[in-house]
Amino acid sequence: MTPLSIALNLALSFAGLAALCLAMDRHHRAIAGRGQTRARARALRLAGWAALAASFAAAVVTSDWNFGPVQWIGSLTGAALLVVGLVSYRPAWIRPAALLALPLALAAALLA
Amino acid sequence: MRQGFRQSMAWLHTWAGLVTGWVMFAVFVTGTATYYRADLSLWMRPELRAGPNDAIPAAERGIAYLKAHAPKAMAWYVSAPQPDRPVIAVYWMDSLEAPLGQAMLDVETGAPTKARDTQGGDFFYRFHYELQMMPALGRWIVGAAAMILLIALISGIVTHRRIFADFFTFRRDRSAQRGWLDAHNVTGVLALPFHLMITYTGIVTLGVMYMPWGVTAAYKGDDLRFYVEAAQTTTWRPAAGRPGEAVPLAPLLARAQGEISEPLEMVIVNNPGDANATVVAVFEEPHGLAHQHPQIAFDAASGSVVERVEPLKPAARVFTSFMGLHEAHFASTALRALFFLCGLLGAATIATGLVLWTVARAPKTGEAPGFGLRLVRGLNIGTILGLPIGMAAFFLGNRLLPVDLAHRATWEGGVFFGAWALAAVVSLLRPHRRAWTELGLAAGLLFGAVPVVGALTTDRGLDFLAFDAAMLGLGLALALGARKVSHYEARRQAAKAARPGPARVPEGLVEA
Repeated sequence: MTPLSIALNLALSFAGLAALCLAMDRHHRAIAGRGQTRARARALRLAGWAALAASFAAAVVTSDWNFGPVQWIGSLTGAALLVVGLVSYRPAWIRPAALLALPLALAAALLA
Repeated sequence: MRQGFRQSMAWLHTWAGLVTGWVMFAVFVTGTATYYRADLSLWMRPELRAGPNDAIPAAERGIAYLKAHAPKAMAWYVSAPQPDRPVIAVYWMDSLEAPLGQAMLDVETGAPTKARDTQGGDFFYRFHYELQMMPALGRWIVGAAAMILLIALISGIVTHRRIFADFFTFRRDRSAQRGWLDAHNVTGVLALPFHLMITYTGIVTLGVMYMPWGVTAAYKGDDLRFYVEAAQTTTWRPAAGRPGEAVPLAPLLARAQGEISEPLEMVIVNNPGDANATVVAVFEEPHGLAHQHPQIAFDAASGSVVERVEPLKPAARVFTSFMGLHEAHFASTALRALFFLCGLLGAATIATGLVLWTVARAPKTGEAPGFGLRLVRGLNIGTILGLPIGMAAFFLGNRLLPVDLAHRATWEGGVFFGAWALAAVVSLLRPHRRAWTELGLAAGLLFGAVPVVGALTTDRGLDFLAFDAAMLGLGLALALGARKVSHYEARRQAAKAARPGPARVPEGLVEA
């Protein structure tokens, strides 16, 4: 339950939730200014859920079954709050932020 | 039945939320503050500095004090110095009815400490589940409110059925009601697992008090036996009625410490001075979800081990894990920050729900608000801003009340409730939008003043940077909120002056 393991968790949860948010038509339109194909939305949804699953796995691996799930749920709340804040106040930032979160997650995973 | 399921759930959610909202807002805010109880306590006793805490000599000093000052007590409790409380805290029980006697002793000398008399972070902790009332009454009020809140939470999931479709949606550019509704939904759904967990485990923590009949029926009045079998405590050995000589304490504690790797937290002596006296060494919780303290009991006269607390059985493990989850003692700094954030979101869900109730019932232009609406508006401001004002005043009181004032800790509580009551009265007297701005600004200024007053009245320099930053952050957030209300009000007035016309009909809550 080190800060690094929580950083890894937060980064993966954030990337996943941002993808899920982009997969929703209303938000995609607000962020990108245009609609999207159904295939793209499906791919985003898949990527989003995969990142959330990876986040869960990372939590359980770094903090075991006792605390992992607690930490995962906490990271979901923190990351979702960030996504909502960005979508609402700085929609243009969300894609770069989500892409930046992935190398950050990798760095945290290597250090943790 | 003409009403649909969802309508009846909406009704339930609205009214269950309204009647418990004010109490539960205060419970959420003080509970959230309690995640940093240790840090608050350290800040509130600036005379004390965390030092090496050698538990066994400290326990000896505590017992020596109790021998001299409470020789006839039924039981003694000595709490070893903790990082967050660098004093020896001693308590004694004269009878089962009387409140515990207590004293705080200096770690080095064992004499009563010179540090200022304060409840520290324990003030919010006790408020969180007893509202600083008589314990039984306060716990019942909080428990009843929490049970109704649980109903409000579950009926809320049904009512606001779009929370998952609108998961990331916060529309600030539509009507006021839409904005509040989105804020209520977002703060509610983002931390929904936390809200459900914390409300449920909170009720469970005091569950045996709310529903004592199972224990009464199974243990036939011997309730203590239940706690022994649930591995929460050791058996109470009755007094022999004749005096006895106790073996030296330190070797007993050293033997106990040899068996258990956790630090010694407390030493209990039951029936001190009696031939049947018992010494119990209580250790800190091992790192884990379950909230259980390892304990070893010795016969004080012979020094032989009479009991070890058993490992947890499954039911007790589930129960103590619920308690552990609720208190989050296991959480490291980063995870604790997430718990704190979730707590704030819980308070925000309640606050936005309370405001939404009034926004949805706002009178049309030209109509006067009715008594009920005015009352709810006043109570909303009195709670949502009155409580932070009370908390900031409490911190300021801790620094500004004379250190040698008699009953100082009680005075600090008086400052908290006095400032809160004053804010509540102001909120009922002023026009409600004006009151939001004025009290929000007052709360912001009070929080902003805490680090300044702290720096002027103590010589701790930069020891409390995190605390000071938190106070400034809270102050800034409250002041910005107040500014937003005043801007919104100015725009609204200007729009009204420019184009008098019928106000927009509020959108129905159920439709949202």
